[in-house]
Amino acid sequence: MSHVYLAVAITEIAIAALLFVRLAAGPTITDRIVALNTMSTQAALAVLFFSAFAGRTIYLDISLWLASFSYLGAVIWARYLERGLL
Amino acid sequence: MRDAIVIALAAIGLAFSLSGAVGILRMPDVYSRIQCSSKTITMGALPVLIALVVGMGPISSYGSRALLVAVLLLIVNPVASHALARAAYKTGVPMWRGAVVDQVRQQAEAGSGEADGPGRP
Repeated sequence: MSHVYLAVAITEIAIAALLFVRLAAGPTITDRIVALNTMSTQAALAVLFFSAFAGRTIYLDISLWLASFSYLGAVIWARYLERGLL
Repeated sequence: MRDAIVIALAAIGLAFSLSGAVGILRMPDVYSRIQCSSKTITMGALPVLIALVVGMGPISSYGSRALLVAVLLLIVNPVASHALARAAYKTGVPMWRGAVVDQVRQQAEAGSGEADGPGRP
């Protein structure tokens, strides 16, 4: 059963690696933020599934942190683009 | 039986995630990419998380964390996508030339829209 979790984690990492193209070649900064946001979602899922594969519950909190704070970063970037610093 | 359900849900979620990533790579402008990033990636993440809940049980620490991540994604992903789209529009990122409607600009030209107006170049 655990090899299924490892396969899911590796596939999520591969999908995130696919998004490096948009992160490098995005014409505007919003494209890069969108790609980074999606990559962090995939990374959170990959960490969750890797913790289920390895049986280490300590990685679950890293996954929760990634899933919550990456969006906070996106919102802060949007606010900065709209109104400048503060 | 449970393994088959887990594999099927994970395959559905990974297929949706892959299509979302390809959409982010291939779509013509920022707003279409934000659409791919919000809807398709959320739809790709939820079946994968449900697969973990089915595989590990909802009371286990893995299943409960997966449910928590699912709730976080459902709440916070639309907020971030809306903020990014609004910031892109305000900073004047041009739409694709094949776009057919711009309702914010139409409302501003009709005089009933936002006071600060659109930022299109």
